[in-house]
Amino acid sequence: MNKPFKPKITLFHCINSFNESASLSLNGANNVEIKTVRLPCSSMVKDVFLLRSFESGADGVLVLVCPEDQCRYVEGSIRAKKRVGWVQNVLDEIGLDGRRLSIRNTSSGNGATTDKILQETVAVLTDLGPNPAA
Amino acid sequence: MKMEHMSKLEQILSRGEFAVTTECGPPRGADSEVVIKKGETLRGYVDAVNVTDNQTAIVRMSSISACTHLLNIGLEPVMQMVTRDRNRIALQSDILGAYSLGIRNILCLSGDHQIFGSQPDALNVFDIDSMNLIRTVKTMRDEGKDMSGFDLKEPPKMYIGAAANPFADPFEYRVIRLAKKIDAGTDFIQTQCVYNMERFTEWMRLAREEGLTEKVQILAGVTPLKSVGMARYMSKKVAGIDIPEAITKRMGEVPKEKAIDEGIKICLETIAQLRDIKGVSGVHIMAIEWEEKVGEIVESAGLLPRPL
Amino acid sequence: MIVGEQKPLAEIKEIVGPYRKLLILGCGTCVKTCFAGGEDEVATLASALRLIFKKEGQNIKIEEFTIERQCENEFIQEASEAIGRNDSVLSLACGAGVQAIARRFAKIPVLPGVNTTFIGVLESQGVFTEECSGCGNCELAIFGGVCPITRCSKKLLNGPCGGSRHGICEVSPDTECAWQLIIERLEALGQVHNLRCYISPKDWSSSNSGGPRRLVREDHII
Ligand code: SF4
Repeated sequence: MNKPFKPKITLFHCINSFNESASLSLNGANNVEIKTVRLPCSSMVKDVFLLRSFESGADGVLVLVCPEDQCRYVEGSIRAKKRVGWVQNVLDEIGLDGRRLSIRNTSSGNGATTDKILQETVAVLTDLGPNPAA
Repeated sequence: MKMEHMSKLEQILSRGEFAVTTECGPPRGADSEVVIKKGETLRGYVDAVNVTDNQTAIVRMSSISACTHLLNIGLEPVMQMVTRDRNRIALQSDILGAYSLGIRNILCLSGDHQIFGSQPDALNVFDIDSMNLIRTVKTMRDEGKDMSGFDLKEPPKMYIGAAANPFADPFEYRVIRLAKKIDAGTDFIQTQCVYNMERFTEWMRLAREEGLTEKVQILAGVTPLKSVGMARYMSKKVAGIDIPEAITKRMGEVPKEKAIDEGIKICLETIAQLRDIKGVSGVHIMAIEWEEKVGEIVESAGLLPRPL
Repeated sequence: MIVGEQKPLAEIKEIVGPYRKLLILGCGTCVKTCFAGGEDEVATLASALRLIFKKEGQNIKIEEFTIERQCENEFIQEASEAIGRNDSVLSLACGAGVQAIARRFAKIPVLPGVNTTFIGVLESQGVFTEECSGCGNCELAIFGGVCPITRCSKKLLNGPCGGSRHGICEVSPDTECAWQLIIERLEALGQVHNLRCYISPKDWSSSNSGGPRRLVREDHII
């Protein structure tokens, strides 16, 4: 029997959007392997960081940002969305499927939502299967 | 053997007679019969026939050769020449060639951009603009020199036409542009089709004010509408066409099978109004791929018989 | 500045396909400003290509390097070692940069990764517009600072064609009619009389029509 697929997710988040210690439930989830990258603001997600995560073996990348009207740096979240959209296209072109990358809004301390987002991401990745370039 | 005849169009206009010209689009193929057939339907109804030069940037039989086919059956052509496809060397060479074939009228244009045509991937030339083409033909004719200043043996004595669009923007500038074209050497003007009589009248008034109608023969353009769809399409999609809502409405209010008659009626009313405007020396009826209607329009407008 | 745009990934993949050791060489001047070939774009492209080749099980080594300008020898030299240890170079500079590199490395294929598009300006964040054709004989003084040779779709020198409507060029709803701009500008400058001037045919010999151009500054040659 094959081992069930346990997706590896790299999680980029802004220190304002998500508080790791507050989201304990994450560590409890055993159907996913998570690597987190903290950024002062999500607008600092560069295209290349996202792509390199896939190079290092991630099956999916999730970017968590503050809701647009709550971004401390005003345009940070909007910028991040544009970058993610761009990289999704690149992933499609590569043949990795842009759906492996997603960006979602969350505000700090809301563990329940984060958990839900994470499980949704896992569901998408289970569908897509492992990263073919890993 | 030299063919020393004068343009018939020039003779008619200089006698002060109201001129009638029309248009013939050459075929997308090499069959001269198409041109000859179109020409035959126009015989006796018009004084000269414009032959378009790869209109809307679609490859067709060259204007110069279609003009020749018309000449051969005794019709007088106006060779349209656009600066989009040929550089100054080719333009001048073709002007000499056209004259040698008996072509006596030329209409100098910049041409539709190739983006509208069937080969938008083509290189456009636009080495010179229509203003400079006008001046070039004039210099060739009056000074007997080509653009390099070389003395031509047997200069081409062309009757020089240009286009004007009173309906394009910016409006105030349109008369300045007309004046420039006249200065450059234009003998006659054919305008974009007139539907917006108000704007045309105003443009003519400004032209008269500047004394331009004394210097140039203006032939006002008309195009009969076939349907309300055509009216809508032209006013939206065709660059430089202005069809007032009232006209579109009129076309839409008649039953479908009456639309053609209504279009012709509007056209005839327009011609009647144009004849009353001081400074309008003739009409240019543009009915591309509908050449058979031209005779009917000319006849119903009371413009027959045409002078010899 | 020179404005360019990175070629589609699929095309790049195709042209670098035959090689095993590829240097992606960025240029830190014009193409950096227009997000086509600076350091960031080099990194992103390298990562994307590595993913492509890994996915397809191909073994192509990719090195990244960016120099200040690919059109100047002084800077090109900085890249010579990196170029020497690879079997191909994908240059993300404009066409001038690609050729400048190519002519200095006779045995290494130098491939273009960017489509050089025009001489233009950064109109607003992320929007670049073409402003100059490099015709070699600037006539902006008479046109109120708006170039009809570049910005009028028909290169008209003596006023707008019949397709100008509400300030928009007949060729595309996204293109302003250069002549509308010229007229407005001349009005604002009180120089409408320029519009009545007859502008004679352009002498294209100073442009690319006269063959490839060369500029010599004797005072700078030692
Ligand atoms: S609409 Fe204006 S910019 Fe466009 S071709 Fe005509 S004059 Fe030139």
